[in-house]
Amino acid sequence: MRKEPIIKLVNVWKTYTMGEVQVHALRGLDLEVKEGEFLAIKGPSGSGKSTAMNLVGCLDIPTKGHVYLEGKDISAMGESELAQVRGRKIGFIFQQFNLINTLTALENVMLPMMFQGFPEEQRKKRAAELLTKVGLGDRLHHRPTELSGGQQQRVAIARSLAVDPDVILADEPTGNLDSATGKTFMEFLRKLHREERKTIVMVTHDDMLAKEASRIEHIKDGQLVRR
Amino acid sequence: MSSLLKYAIGNLLHRKTRSWLTVLSILMGIMAVFALMSFGLGIQAYVEEVGESTGADKLFLQGKGIGAPGTDTSFSIPKEDVDFLGKIRGVKDIAGLYFQAAAIKFNDQIKYNWAMGNEPRDWRFLEQSFGGGIETGRELKQGDISKVVLGYNYQIEDKVFGRAVALGDKVEINDREFEVVGFYSEIGNPSDDANIYLTDEAMELMYPSIKNKYGFVIIQADRDVDPTALAERVEEEYREHKGQEEGKEDFYVQTFTDLLETFGSIITVLNSVLLLIALISLIVASVNIMNTMYTSVLERTKEIGVMKAIGARNTSIMKIFIYESGILGLIGGILGVVLGFLVASAAGGAAAAAGYSSLRPIFPVFLVLGCLLFSFLIGAASGFFPALKASKLKPANALRYE
Repeated sequence: MRKEPIIKLVNVWKTYTMGEVQVHALRGLDLEVKEGEFLAIKGPSGSGKSTAMNLVGCLDIPTKGHVYLEGKDISAMGESELAQVRGRKIGFIFQQFNLINTLTALENVMLPMMFQGFPEEQRKKRAAELLTKVGLGDRLHHRPTELSGGQQQRVAIARSLAVDPDVILADEPTGNLDSATGKTFMEFLRKLHREERKTIVMVTHDDMLAKEASRIEHIKDGQLVRR
Repeated sequence: MSSLLKYAIGNLLHRKTRSWLTVLSILMGIMAVFALMSFGLGIQAYVEEVGESTGADKLFLQGKGIGAPGTDTSFSIPKEDVDFLGKIRGVKDIAGLYFQAAAIKFNDQIKYNWAMGNEPRDWRFLEQSFGGGIETGRELKQGDISKVVLGYNYQIEDKVFGRAVALGDKVEINDREFEVVGFYSEIGNPSDDANIYLTDEAMELMYPSIKNKYGFVIIQADRDVDPTALAERVEEEYREHKGQEEGKEDFYVQTFTDLLETFGSIITVLNSVLLLIALISLIVASVNIMNTMYTSVLERTKEIGVMKAIGARNTSIMKIFIYESGILGLIGGILGVVLGFLVASAAGGAAAAAGYSSLRPIFPVFLVLGCLLFSFLIGAASGFFPALKASKLKPANALRYE
């Protein structure tokens, strides 16, 4: 059965002005992400895949064109509304983990729930549960600097799941991990997809990694490569 | 919200050195403001207290010369004039006072201080005007030609004389021997507390030329008469009596409250100048906080991007940074108030030890709370623009920032 796409980019242009030169990062990109799928977006550096990822993650709005999240056009949203949508619907996993170093693992995972106004007790309980699930039940009160790269990325997974979003966005998630740790991480991601029915969008330039996904799209020169 | 606050505090603790340096700058300013205001308020309270307690209905009439009241030797008020003044409507009581410099010798040490002479029946009236009274011993009586009452400081070692004077001791005033029969309570400045009090007879014996020529006059207003209005009336009638032109009188009349306010306002002006300097230091502190916060925003650009990515709204980011700068201000305020209290107490103690017990700081609750609120607001306001900058960062750009 064909489902309505959860994220849909229609003829999206993103133009940056650098001095007097206009750089078109995206030139009429069309992209659909279906609910429950595991999509890999692949492309060389400079292809516009990071920009595409920003738009899919509601971190930015297009210069031209439309981005729909669950049928709603986010291109017209204000910053505050956009932040709300991101906070509720999308979980981010970054290449550099991007944990907050002054907070403990537990507090890092609690953070997205704080911005959504969850009560403190609930935040604490869920964060502890999630960290236990990713195998860090004994590291709740460690700070990121006291954790290995693999452990930090697992905290990041727990954080991305905190508000139980529909979509997980992973940007080169294994880029800073050694191959063994990277493999373990990918297993987590697959499990999330299989067992939790999360929609996963992963941006990577790594062929091996992209193969883990159920579908691969290629971006080149700001457009999808049709094949 | 408490979580944002906790996060803000965590950030401040994370960069301890910089936080402390910033706190230090605001601490200095608040300390100075708090200490200076405690003195300013203390002076005001002193003036009000003394004015309301006993002296409010008293007026002083004295020569226009420079120096302490009554010390102008070219001016005096004859006894007949005192009688005239006593008959003015609204005057309840009146007393003329001899006022002369005198050499007082004790234990082979000689000091030059002011001697005041008065009819003994008037002493209680005068005491009311100054807000003092006999502390030890007794008052002077009619016929006490060789008895003296001394100011508070004489009974303290190394204040007036190397040795403390005690009741029953003999002192020499202008080479005449007097027995000390009493001491006055503390007035609060070294000059008044070194006064020598004698009977009018004793003064007339030592200074025959001043007989019936008083240095100044103290008038008490009737209960239902406004002292300020009475002061104007006395000035007008005495001017006519002396046949002087308005504005060219050789005397002036001042209410006790005026006198205290003059004293109070001199200190207040001095205090205000210092306060202004302290406030300038707070502006510097504010710039310092702003600088710290701008640096912090720059350093944490990526962190701000991450927080925005995981759902932080602009207002949340704004709050975090304003909390941080507000807390810096508040901590500076708390420490500033504590140190200001210590400094002011020490300074008040030193002033009292030097004889200026009227210069005493007071610490009302509103001053403490006001300083704390003020310091928090300075901090929060200084953090406003850095916080605005942080909140306006575009998440996509901020995340790319290295």
